[in-house]
Amino acid sequence: MTALLDVKNLSIRFPVKRSWGRSSWLYAVDDVSFEVKRGETLAIVGESGSGKTTAALGVARLVHASGGTVNLDGQDFLSLEPEDLRQARAKVQVIFQDPYSSLNPRLRAEAIVREPMDSIGTLPVSERPARVAELFEQVGLRPEQMKLFPHQFSGGQRQRIGIARALSTNPELIICDEAVSALDVAVQAQILNLLRRLQRDLGLTYLFISHDLGVVQHMSDHIAVMYMGKIVEYADRLSLFNNPKHPYTKALLSAVPSVDQKRKVERLLIPGDPPNPLDPPKGCRFASRCPFVENACRAAQPPLDEIAPQHKVACIKASH
Amino acid sequence: MTEPLLKVENLRIELALRSGQAPVIDDLSLELHAGETLSFVGESGCGKSMTALAIMGLLPEGVGSVASGRILFDGRDMAQMSDEELRGIRGNEISMIFQEPMTSLNPVYSVGEQIAEVLRRHKGMNKAQAWTRATELLDAVRIPNAAARVSDYPHQMSGGQRQRVMIAIALACSPKILIADEPTTALDVTVQAQIFDLLRDLGRETGTAIILITHDMGAVAEMADRMVVMYAGRKAEDGPVRPVIDHPRHPYTKGLISCVPHLLAELTEERPDLTEVAGIVPSLGSFGADACLFASRCDLADDRCRSQRPPEVAFGDQHSACWKADQL
Ligand SMILES: Nc1ncnc2c1ncn2[C@@H]1O[C@H](COP(=O)(O)OP(=O)(O)OP(=O)(O)O)[C@@H](O)[C@H]1O
Ligand SMILES: Nc1ncnc2c1ncn2[C@@H]1O[C@H](COP(=O)(O)OP(=O)(O)O)[C@@H](O)[C@H]1O
Ligand code: SF4
Ligand SMILES: [Mg+2]
Ligand SMILES: [Mg+2]
Repeated sequence: MTALLDVKNLSIRFPVKRSWGRSSWLYAVDDVSFEVKRGETLAIVGESGSGKTTAALGVARLVHASGGTVNLDGQDFLSLEPEDLRQARAKVQVIFQDPYSSLNPRLRAEAIVREPMDSIGTLPVSERPARVAELFEQVGLRPEQMKLFPHQFSGGQRQRIGIARALSTNPELIICDEAVSALDVAVQAQILNLLRRLQRDLGLTYLFISHDLGVVQHMSDHIAVMYMGKIVEYADRLSLFNNPKHPYTKALLSAVPSVDQKRKVERLLIPGDPPNPLDPPKGCRFASRCPFVENACRAAQPPLDEIAPQHKVACIKASH
Repeated sequence: MTEPLLKVENLRIELALRSGQAPVIDDLSLELHAGETLSFVGESGCGKSMTALAIMGLLPEGVGSVASGRILFDGRDMAQMSDEELRGIRGNEISMIFQEPMTSLNPVYSVGEQIAEVLRRHKGMNKAQAWTRATELLDAVRIPNAAARVSDYPHQMSGGQRQRVMIAIALACSPKILIADEPTTALDVTVQAQIFDLLRDLGRETGTAIILITHDMGAVAEMADRMVVMYAGRKAEDGPVRPVIDHPRHPYTKGLISCVPHLLAELTEERPDLTEVAGIVPSLGSFGADACLFASRCDLADDRCRSQRPPEVAFGDQHSACWKADQL
């Protein structure tokens, strides 16, 4: 099966002003490649500032990529001309973390859900109200709630509106950026179950960003671990969680407290903070915090090597 | 058993709402012993922070007040104390750290000045003594190169370092109780682990009792000795952590644990849908009702649950306020 999404060598940089009027580039995403098969979920994890959101927004063409290609459903998405782009945009939708600020407070729920349909314009105008009603039902909202404004909904219901809006253009790929992080656990479970049901029913593909590794293991088929703009490990779900190879992944997993007493992972402490992203180290970017560092690590960047089928690691000590 | 350090008895806190006075905490009792870590868990709006603020004597002025009950600290009722007396306890014998360290630190003073200020106010140290002690405290919360970092301003530090500074301020006067209200929610998981290790070590070294408010059951399991599950301003269940997690005696506790996708020792292919707890926490106006407030979300609910408040039932050290606790 070919991949729905094939990202190659994606780089995204931002201009940053430095002292004495100098400015330089911050590489938020640096030469990142990954694939997602149709109907599957790729999770992206990594600490704050590692580039997860930027990479996802780059895929959706919501930030400009300075390099690389994004192949979506057979189309070179980043180089589409305006007419084709409008159609192709319908295939990618984003659900954000904060259901409070991502919905226009002055619009009724039905107008919010309908908005993307209006801007893409594929569906005849006369059929749009029925489609809105169908979407409300699909995400578990009642028909009479279509007339309400965002502030009249609870956090979980607002996230349902966000999901209905994302579904309105019949997308292939949905980017969930910390989509359940602001929700309480009970509501989070309702939304996670909804997302999984929609994936099964509609064959959706998810790019799923979350800092909660319990949620990630529940939702994903594959996981990409990012550190300072780079993917340092990529693996299928069981390999990543049961057999992590990169020291950063190990540190991340060992930091998660668990209710399971049998989960006695020795804590791998990573001291300090990541280096300044404006001056990334020449070699492995994790070298300054890695408990296993040796001189060779600082000499050159370790490539993301395949150490087993569906398992890639960028660490010279893990790849052989 | 020794006298508890803190004893909350039948506490009722009322809020002045537009519709009149309404309870936000209703008939809450709990004990905290020296050296132990007690966790409050429950969804947003269930009154965890309110309880903490009441213990700090920091209820929102003109809005929240203790309507009845006692908050006994070292045998004295804090609910009856003057502002003056409370100021002597707050930040000194009982201190608190909050979720967002940036908003609790003053951006225009160096972190050293902010720690020193607490020491001068409560411990009567002079400038030089306080500064030396501030450096020691930064070192104690494991900030590398403390002697240099003590002159840094908050914006020069990372989120994790700022939270360490908050802990240093909270610990400056060697408090008997440290209340940590979701202290790691804004932080990365690796930083959270460091903060938790730090709190655990400090608790051990100084004997400070800790109240840890969190929504993360994993954190409760690893950090706390006992836990209080709060629902809609009331105690649903409490007890030693392991028994409560392994055999919850209240449907709400059970729901809180089973609706979360946990990271278990060994993952398997199987991933059934999560157990859902339907609905949401009821609105504040109904917190005083004579009923089980969880009834609208509970699979076991019957007419009695909907019309009479369940009493607390004991199972050893574990207590549950559920009519059907013995069926669980
Ligand atoms: N100053 C205030 N005025 C009116 N209502 C308030 C005030 N502060 C809190 N409340 C209400 O009191 C209830 C309990 O609040 P509290 O912050 O103690 O809950 P919590 O369980 O700690 O929630 P969270 O996890 O969101 O912090 C909520 O319904 C809240 O909206
Ligand atoms: N608009 C921007 N201008 C400058 N730097 C940015 C911008 N957006 C993101 N960054 C930087 O890019 C890096 C990655 O950011 P982001 O993708 O938001 O990370 P994450 O989602 O993992 O928290 C960070 O160092 C961040 O500060
Ligand atoms: S008292 Fe009744 S409604 Fe409340 S938790 Fe127990 S069984 Fe459920
Ligand atoms: Mg982000
Ligand atoms: Mg709170």
